[in-house]
Parts: sequence; structure tokens; C-alpha cells
Amino acid sequence: MGYKKIKKDQLKTLFNELSKDCSLFVPSGSKGYVGFDPWDGNSADFTEWYGNTTIPPKALFFPPVEAMLRFRKGEAGYEIEELLPNGRPQIVFGVRPCDARALKITDILFSDTYRDPYYLKRRENATIVGLACNEPCDTCFCTSLDISPGESQDVDLLCTDIGDELLMEAVSDKGEDLLSKMSGLSDASGEEESKAKQLGESAKEKITRQIDTSGLLDKMRSSFENREYWEDVSRKCMSCGICTYVCPTCHCFDICDENNKKDGKRVRNWDSCKFPLFTRMPMENPRHEKWRRIRQRYHHKFEYFQMNFEAIACTGCGRCIRECPVNVDVTEIIGGIQAL
Amino acid sequence: MENRLKEEAGKLLKEGKVDYIVGYGKGTVNLRTSPLITNKEEDLEGLVINPFIANNLSRYPVELKGRVGIVVKGCDSRSLTSLMQDKKVKREDLIIFGIPCEGVVDLKKLAGQIGAEIDRVTDAEKEGENLTLQVDGSKKTIPFRDVIFDKCYGCEHPTPLEYDVLLGSEVTPNLDIEKSLEKIKALDDMDTPERWDYWKEQFSKCIRCYGCRNVCPACFCERCFVDVNMPQWVATYATWQDNLTFQLIRTLHVAGRCSDCGECERACPVGIPLRSLQRKMVEEVKDLFGHEVGIDKDAPPVFSHYEATDPDEFMK
Ligand code: SF4
Ligand code: SF4
Ligand code: SF4
Ligand code: SF4
Repeated sequence: MGYKKIKKDQLKTLFNELSKDCSLFVPSGSKGYVGFDPWDGNSADFTEWYGNTTIPPKALFFPPVEAMLRFRKGEAGYEIEELLPNGRPQIVFGVRPCDARALKITDILFSDTYRDPYYLKRRENATIVGLACNEPCDTCFCTSLDISPGESQDVDLLCTDIGDELLMEAVSDKGEDLLSKMSGLSDASGEEESKAKQLGESAKEKITRQIDTSGLLDKMRSSFENREYWEDVSRKCMSCGICTYVCPTCHCFDICDENNKKDGKRVRNWDSCKFPLFTRMPMENPRHEKWRRIRQRYHHKFEYFQMNFEAIACTGCGRCIRECPVNVDVTEIIGGIQAL
Repeated sequence: MENRLKEEAGKLLKEGKVDYIVGYGKGTVNLRTSPLITNKEEDLEGLVINPFIANNLSRYPVELKGRVGIVVKGCDSRSLTSLMQDKKVKREDLIIFGIPCEGVVDLKKLAGQIGAEIDRVTDAEKEGENLTLQVDGSKKTIPFRDVIFDKCYGCEHPTPLEYDVLLGSEVTPNLDIEKSLEKIKALDDMDTPERWDYWKEQFSKCIRCYGCRNVCPACFCERCFVDVNMPQWVATYATWQDNLTFQLIRTLHVAGRCSDCGECERACPVGIPLRSLQRKMVEEVKDLFGHEVGIDKDAPPVFSHYEATDPDEFMK
């Protein structure tokens, strides 16, 4: 279909139209942190101030809390009612390339041997509209993980901010379909196309933080027994769940039943390997000391996930660096392992 | 100050007087500092003291085994003293480096003031009453006291009360209590339903990451009540009701221990104004029991003993 464009001052009209028959989510700072909120009919100015969200888009597909089923004790035993998502189409507008990749990574996990109907149903019904980064944050290091701030094959439709307008390019059939339904678009010129490419290139150059992934798998393995290293890097960690919960690829959850004598529901919620009580419910947490828990987080991302699924479970979004109250920095930790 | 700290801390490690030094190092994000905890002399070169030393480090000696040399600001020192009162740390296991403090920069406020993300600020220096910044490569000057944490306007003990080495000369309090309590006053002025709605909205955001609890030096229970599940006090998952319950009980548990260091609010990734609860409790404890946190290390903790004069209106 080629490149299209829309004037930024037309976004509001576009969003109002799109939200008529689907749920539209856009970046918003109205709650005191930046997250994807349902379109409020008003503030379409996120292109002007938005670096990335604090809470990643994973929360729209794998919500912090979700009721999975309801149960009721009847005459003939328990009746069970599955509580699947309602299937309403969703559009998530403004997803950054790192987060679009992160969704591809969690897709692998949730559609493995166990196919998670809750996550997958939402994913099937969603169209991801990406927004290229012209001004990466100080904490970004996506380029180390084979992601470009200016392009993405992981979205359905990619937008690039070229000044007064957003340039749009369909990446998938879903994106093509969405693009054909949008009104207020015009054709973009070749000049505008190359401007977008240029912006992508200069964004790449602005990223200075990095990790070195070459030979990392072996290095990770040999670091496992290096207790001194892990003790050193974990000393300041507070064992909270911030890094896990803001991470777009972290996906651990806990399940609990809430029972009111005759009926109740089964709920799952985010959980974190940083918590001392992690996995205590089914069994025991084998990682009593903090350094073992820290080691787990990085080994899971950079070793186990790679062994199981041939992908590193980090996209360089930098949220964990930004939000950690004591500034534990994944790039320092991986750098340290490479230097061992 | 920095050089003296490096020198003295180095001596302590070399002479085996402490096992660890707990101070501040340069962070990996613009302007930020990060806790520097080490038993290696060569790491001490990284110690810094500047207006960005936000973390309250007093939690670390509770966890570290052995003797600790620790750097504290005024508020942190009162947390540390409170931990001594609760017998979580022993005074004789600590060498305390006190920093007379003129306030610490609240990076969120700073971002608001300059109208840009902190990412754009590459350098900042306190020069007299001002903070001189490099924003996108150009120089910008703003009044220092416009960007410090709200707690700092209400700080009556900016010079630590308990220390072995004071790094610099005493600072006299520069109080603006009204400004410090502005948000709390606004909440007090609401009528009850309005205030309820406010907190309902705030706690709907909570994701139960427990950042607030885990950075708090007064939250030292070995097993927090939220993690107890037989019986279960609050749901393990986030609902606004249970989130609020969790935070209110936490507020009660840290009453008489909270030094208004503001770490909970700073840590909260979704921007819940937790200090408005905690500082309110500090006021209540002061009004009811005449107790100020972390003043006297030899006094018993306010809620673990009884005085005939303790208020008992609630029993009527
Ligand atoms: S690394 Fe930081 S965010 Fe993660 S658990 Fe430790 S203190 Fe919390
Ligand atoms: S580990 Fe950190 S940088 Fe990597 S994807 Fe997760 S939050 Fe982003
Ligand atoms: S409350 Fe007082 S001691 Fe603490 S940071 Fe502010 S001015 Fe410094
Ligand atoms: S830090 Fe904030 S989001 Fe996390 S548990 Fe505390 S109040 Fe909730």
C-alpha cells in the first residue's frame, strides 16, 4: 500500500473514529505515571512528550490480576465457569519497537506446549500500532539486542513522527487492513519516506548504553557458580518486584483461589523471582539468599530463555534501570559477566 | 567532604574496624546516585556526596553481617536510631558518617521545572542557592530550594543527631513547614467522601510490587502480614481495596518509626503519593504521644511501652 501520512492535529479525530468499534489504548500520563490507558477522547499529544511507558504493554495482554474461572458448589459437585476475555478487538497505539519485540517474546512462551487462552485471545484480537523512537531515553540499549529504534517488523503498523505529521507504514495484513479503514490519510512523498529513515538512523546513533551478547551464553553458564560475583552485584538490591513488573518480557505469575464457602474464583497475578516467598506456595523457594534470586533473574533472561526458545528475554527497554530505587543496572551486570 | 570520607572509610576497612562501607556512588543514570556497598578498599574511590544522594541507606546494616561504616543524612540518621531502639542494629557495630544536609533534589520536581525529561540533563551542580544544569547542551540555572523533596522543607534535623564523624559543619534548619505539608493539608481540607475517592483512585494504580515496603527502613518484619496466608489478611493480588488495606496497615506498623525519609513515595513506580499517609502519621504520633522519631537511641520505642499519660480517648 506504500507510505501514508496523517497530520498530528488529525489524530484526535482518527482516535475517536477508531474507538467506535474497538478498545483503543494510547500512552497517557494522566494517572501520575505513564501507561497505556483507554482513549479518553481528548489527549492525543503523547507524540510530543512520550519516551516510553512505565508499565509495559504486556499489562494489556497479561494483566497484573485476572480472574481465570469461577467455581460454585452445586448438588452434583463443583460447577466451573471459565472466564475468558470478551474478544473485543483492541488497538494499541504508540508501542515502541522494544515493546513490540517483547510481545513477540512473550508470544513464544504463552503459545508453547501450554497455550494460554487468556493471553492468546487478547493477542489475536489486538492490532499493534508502533511508534518509532526519534529521541531514545538515556536508559535504552535496544540496539544491543537486534532492535532498531526507527523500524520494527514486530508491529502491525509503524508510525514515524516526521514533524507535523506521522508517517505510517503497514507491516502485517492486520496493519494493512487497519490502514485501509483509516480516514484523513494522504500519500507520503519519497522525501518524507527518506526523512523517516534518516530519523531512525540518527536515533540509533543517540543510543550509547550497550551490552555485548557475543559468547554470552557460555559466559552466563560459567558465571553460575561465581558466588562472589553475584553477592557483590546483589548487595544493594531491595528484593522488591519493581524490575520484574515493569519488564515487558517478565511473565511469572502466581495462582490463588478465593473461596467463600460455596463459591469462589481462581485468580492469577504477577509474581516475581525477586521475592523471598516466590514459589513458596506449591513447594519451597530454593533461593533463600538474595544473590541467588538476583542470579535467577539474569540467568533466566540471558541463558534459560535462550536455551529453551532461542531468544534473549530482554529487549533493552531500560525500564528496570530507570525504575529501580537503588539503580541496579542490567547493563552493568551483563558487562561484569562478560569481563569475568 | 568526599575526600575526607574516602580517607576515613579506607582507614576503617584497612584496620579491620568495619566489614563493609555503605555509602553513595555515582549512578548509571544521569544525575542519579546509587548505594555503594563494599568490602574492597579500591571501590571507595567511587564514593560521592552531592545533592542527589536520595537513598536512605539505614536498611543495609540490618541485613549485612558484621560491622558497618555508614553514610547518613539527617533523616536517615533518625531511621538508624529508630532501628537501634528496636534492637535491629547495635550502635557499637556502626561507624556513622554524618552529612549535614541542605536538602536533596527530587528528580521528578526537577523534570517538571525544566519541562523536559531528566534524560536531557547531563550535568548539575549546586552553586550557592542555585542549581546549575546542562540541559540539551545549554546552561540553565534554577533555585535549589524549588526542586528539593517536600520532606526537606519540613526537616528539623538536617544535621544527623547520631554520628562518629561529621562531614562538614552543622546546618541550621531552613524550615517551610507549610510547603512541606501542602499536599497533606489539601487532603485534610477535603470532605470524607472526596478524600475516600482520592485514595481509591490512587490505590487502583498499585501493582503490589512492594517497592514501598522493601525500601522502607521501618519495615523490618521477617514476614510481612501481606505474605502471611494462614490466615490470609489481604489478597495476594492487587485490588484497590486490598492495596489500600495493605498500605494503611503498613502505615500503622511504621508509626513511631517512620522518619519521613520519603523513600516509599520515591520508589513507587506508579506515583502514589505515599508520603501523604506516612507524614500524616508522623504528625499524629507527635500530637498524641509527643514522640519524634529517632531522637534518643536509649529511649524505648514509643509503641512498645506504656505511659500513664498516653491518650486513651478511643476507649471511651
Ligand atoms: S533490582 Fe531494583 S527493582 Fe529489582 S528487586 Fe532489586 S531493588 Fe527492586
Ligand atoms: S530486563 Fe530490563 S531492559 Fe531488559 S526488557 Fe526487562 S525491563 Fe527492559
Ligand atoms: S529531610 Fe532533612 S536530612 Fe533528609 S534529605 Fe531532606 S534536608 Fe536532608
Ligand atoms: S510501591 Fe506503589 S505500586 Fe508498589 S506496592 Fe507500594 S504503593 Fe503499590
